[in-house]
Amino acid sequence: MRRSGGPKPHCAFLLAVLLLLGACASGPRTTSKEFFQLTPESAANKSMQTRRFEMSDGDELLSASAAALQDLGFQVTESNRALGFLRAAKERSARERGQEWSQGLTAFFTTLLTVLCAAGGSTSSAIYVPPVDLHQQINASLIAHPLESGEEGARFEVRVMFYRLVWKGEGQSGDIYIPPGEQKMEMIRDAEIYQRFFARLNKSVFLEGERI
Amino acid sequence: MIDHLFSRVLRLRPRAVVTTLVVAVVVGLGGCASPPEVEPVNLFASAEEQMKMRNMQTRTFDVSDRTTAIRGVIQGLQDLGFIIERANEPLGIVTGARFAEPNYYDVVGVTVTVRSAAEGRMTIRVNALFNNEPITDPEVYRDFFATLERSFFIGRS
Repeated sequence: MRRSGGPKPHCAFLLAVLLLLGACASGPRTTSKEFFQLTPESAANKSMQTRRFEMSDGDELLSASAAALQDLGFQVTESNRALGFLRAAKERSARERGQEWSQGLTAFFTTLLTVLCAAGGSTSSAIYVPPVDLHQQINASLIAHPLESGEEGARFEVRVMFYRLVWKGEGQSGDIYIPPGEQKMEMIRDAEIYQRFFARLNKSVFLEGERI
Repeated sequence: MIDHLFSRVLRLRPRAVVTTLVVAVVVGLGGCASPPEVEPVNLFASAEEQMKMRNMQTRTFDVSDRTTAIRGVIQGLQDLGFIIERANEPLGIVTGARFAEPNYYDVVGVTVTVRSAAEGRMTIRVNALFNNEPITDPEVYRDFFATLERSFFIGRS
C-alpha cells in the first residue's frame, strides 16, 4: 500500500483557510458600552460637519440649505420647520473597477484550485465569487440650530451628516449562490465633501439674502 | 513549479481527498463559534421589569421649554455620531440611528420622547435598540444622559 505524502496537508490547509475566510468575514465589533460615549474623534467630526451663518431668519436658512442639497442632486425626503431639520437622499451606482478586478482574480484562482483538487478526485467546489458593490443611496441629515439673536438678525449653526447605504450584487461561494441585495452602511467622513456642501450653502445663503 | 504542484495533486488518492475535505470542514466550522443560545424572550415583561426599564430610561431636566429640550436632544445625539432620522416638534419625538463603527453591519437605533413634567422641567425618555433588540444595560443610558446634560449646559452658557 502506497502512502500519500505531502500534498494532502497543503490542500487541507488551503481549503480550511478559504472556508474560514468565507464563513467569518466580520470585523471587530463595538460593544454596547461604547455606543453613547464621546470619542476623541467626536469633536473633529463636529467641526467638519458644522458651520455658522448669520441670517435674518431661520426659515430662509433652511430653504437655502434645501437649495444647496438640490444643487448637489439630492431629493429632500423629510423636513421640519420648527426644529430646522432636513433629510435628503440621492441614488447612484456604486461600481468600482478595483473591486471588479479583485472579484475576477478571486474567482479565477478559486476555480483553478477547484480544478486542481478535482483532478485529485475531490467533488467539492472551492469557487468563490465575492459580491461587489452595485448600487448606493447617499443620504444627508441636516439641522439648523439658532445660537443667539441680536438686533441685526440671528446666528445659526448648521450641522450636516452624510452617510451612504450600499447594496451588493450577486456572488457564489462553492455551490451556494449568494443572492444580490446584501446591505452595507457607511458614514461619509471625507472633509472635501463637507467643504463642497458648505461652499454651496454659502452661495445659496447669499442668493437667498439678496433675493436673486 | 506549477507542473510539480500539479503532479503532486494528481498523485492524491480519493480517500486522501475525502480526509482533506473533512479536516477542512471541521476546521472551518470550529473557526466560527456558534452564537450563544438565546432564551425565549418574554414579550410581555412583568410590571416590575417594565418599571425598572422605565426608571433607567427616564430622567427629568431643568429646561425652560420643550423646543429647547428637543434641540438639546438632537445636538447630543449628533455629538454621539447619531444620524437624525425623524423629528416631530409638536409630539416631542426624535428618532436617530448610528452604525456600530467600525462594523457597518450593526445598527444602533434610539427613540427619544420629551414631555413637560412641570413648569421649567422636562421629562426625557430614551429607548435604545441594537440590531432591533432592546439595550438593557443601565450604563448605556447613564452615558446618554451624561451627554445630554453636557449638551443642555453648553446650550445655556
